[in-house]
Amino acid sequence: MLKRLYVDNFRCLVDFELNFDSINLFLGDNGAGKSTIFDVLGKLQLLITSGDAVEDIFKQSDLTRWQSNEKQTFELEILGNNGIYKYQLELITEIGTNHFENDISSEKLWFNEDPLLDVDMEKLKIYSDDGRISYSSRYNFSQSIIRFLKSDDNQKIIWFRERVSRLALLKISPNAIVSESLDTSQFLDKKMENFVSWYRYIFADNQNKLAQLTESLQEILDGFVSFKLEKIGQKAVILKLIFKIEESNQNIEYTFEELSDGQKILVVLYSLFYGLESQDYTLCIDEPENFLALPEIQPWLFQLYDLCSEGKLQALLISHHPQLIDYLLSSPIGYWFERQAHSSVKVKPINSELQKCNESGLSMSELIARRWLSE
Amino acid sequence: MSKSRIQIVLLCEDKQQLVFARHFLEKRGFDKRKIIPLIPSVVQSGEQFVRESYLSEVKKYRQKCNHLAIALIVMTDADNLSVQQRLNQLSSVLQENKLPDRQKEEAIALFIPKRNIETWIGYLKGEKVNEEDKKTYNKLLKESDCKPYSENLAERCQRQEKFEDSPDSLNIACQEFQRLLPLLK
Repeated sequence: MLKRLYVDNFRCLVDFELNFDSINLFLGDNGAGKSTIFDVLGKLQLLITSGDAVEDIFKQSDLTRWQSNEKQTFELEILGNNGIYKYQLELITEIGTNHFENDISSEKLWFNEDPLLDVDMEKLKIYSDDGRISYSSRYNFSQSIIRFLKSDDNQKIIWFRERVSRLALLKISPNAIVSESLDTSQFLDKKMENFVSWYRYIFADNQNKLAQLTESLQEILDGFVSFKLEKIGQKAVILKLIFKIEESNQNIEYTFEELSDGQKILVVLYSLFYGLESQDYTLCIDEPENFLALPEIQPWLFQLYDLCSEGKLQALLISHHPQLIDYLLSSPIGYWFERQAHSSVKVKPINSELQKCNESGLSMSELIARRWLSE
Repeated sequence: MSKSRIQIVLLCEDKQQLVFARHFLEKRGFDKRKIIPLIPSVVQSGEQFVRESYLSEVKKYRQKCNHLAIALIVMTDADNLSVQQRLNQLSSVLQENKLPDRQKEEAIALFIPKRNIETWIGYLKGEKVNEEDKKTYNKLLKESDCKPYSENLAERCQRQEKFEDSPDSLNIACQEFQRLLPLLK
C-alpha cells in the first residue's frame, strides 16, 4: 500500500506531503493540484519501471514556476513485502537560454530503514538482500538503476519496482477504448485505450474471475449474457458483448466500441475490481463517476469501499460528484486541496474537527458547493 | 437464493452502522443495488442528521409506498437514553409536524442499539456486555470488520435463535425485524 508521498519543486507542489489510507478522496477547486498528485506518481512510475531517461519524463515545465530552485525532491513510502520501503529521488536541473538538462543527482531506497540502494553523483552502492554491498563508479546520470536490476540477490529492490508498476493511474476515456487487440498487456494506459489487451491478460486464462465479472455485469447491464473474444486475424482479437433479446429469445453481439459511453465505463469499472482485487494494486482514478448514471454510482461505491476496507485494493480518487463525496466522507478519508494563483498547494484532512465549524449541519458536498468549507 | 427487489432507504448515524446494517440485509437476501444509504459526512452530527432526515424520509416513504416496493430502515444510537425514549423522540418529530406516528403495516423500521452499535458488535464477538454501562465498547479498527458478526446475526435471526445474555436493545431490534419481514414480501 502506498503510504506517503513527499514532493518539492514539482509544478504547484512545494514542500508537499501527503499520507495515504486504504481509500482516499481528493477534493478541491479546479486547478488546486489534485491531478498533479497522479502526474507525479505517473512520472516516478515511469522512471522506476521503464528505463526511460529522466529528461524524457521530467520536463522544464514540471519545475515550480515562481521559484528558481534547481533541485527537485521526491519521496515515496510503500508498505508491503512485510515491511516499509522508503524511496528518495533528487533531480538537479540546469536551465540555459535555449536548453534544459536534468540529472538524477541522488537515488536512494531503504527497506525497514536498511539501505538497499544509494546513488549519488560519484558512486553507486547496491545492497543485496543479505546485506552485501557492491560498489561502482557512476556513469549513467539519466536513468534509474532500479529498472535494470535482475539479480536474485536483489529481490527486495525488484519487489519495490514491481509494486510501483502496480499503481494504476487512470482517467478513463470511453471513446479512446478500442475493441481490437493485437496482444495482451499487463498494465493499463492512462485513458484505458488498451483495455481489451489488458482484459485478455487478466481474464482470458482466469475463468473464475471472468465468471464473477460476468455475473456482476448481468445484474447491471440489461440483457447482458457474456463476453466473447473473437479472432479476426493472425494475431488480432476483438472483444464483443453478447446480449439476449427478451422478446425473441435470441442473442445479439456488439463490439465493445458499439456500447454507449456509460455501458463502457460500467464494464471497465467492474473489470478493474475483479481484475485487480487481491493483487496489491493502488487504483488511482480521476473522476470515476463520469458517464455513470446516478443509480449506478452507489453500488459501485459499496463494492469499492468493501474491497478497500478488506485490504484487497487501495484507491485514490478525485471527484466532484456530491453522491460520491457525501458517501465516502462519512469516514475521514478526504483531503481538501486549496491553492491561490502562483502559490503552492495546501492540503487539509477532512475530519470530525470540522464539525465545530459546520453549525449549519450541511452535507460535505453542500459545504463545498457554497464555498463554506474554507470559511 | 433470489434477491429481493425491494428498495431500502437505509438512514444511519455513521458508517459503522451502515456497514453493519448493509451486510445484515445482504445476508438476508436483499439486493445491495437496491439499498440507498443516507449517512452524515464527518462534518455533521450523526444523531441530529438522523432526527432531521427521519421526518423527510417518512414523508417520502408515505408518498411512494402505495406504488413502489420500498422500505425505510433507520438506525440510531440510544446513547444515554433508553430505546423507548429514543423511539419517543423520533415519534415526537412526526407529531410536531402533524404527521401520524408509524403504523404497524408501514415498512418503516427503527433499530436502536444501546449505548451504541459497538455494544451489539461486542456481544456478537462474544464479549460480556452491559448496555446500561456508561462505558462505550471499543470501536472496530475498520468498519468492515463487523461483517462476520453482522452476517452471523442475520443467520441467527433467520433461524429465530434465542439469544442468551444479549442486550435488550438487540432483542428489541430482532423483534422489529421480524415485524418488518412480512411487509417486505
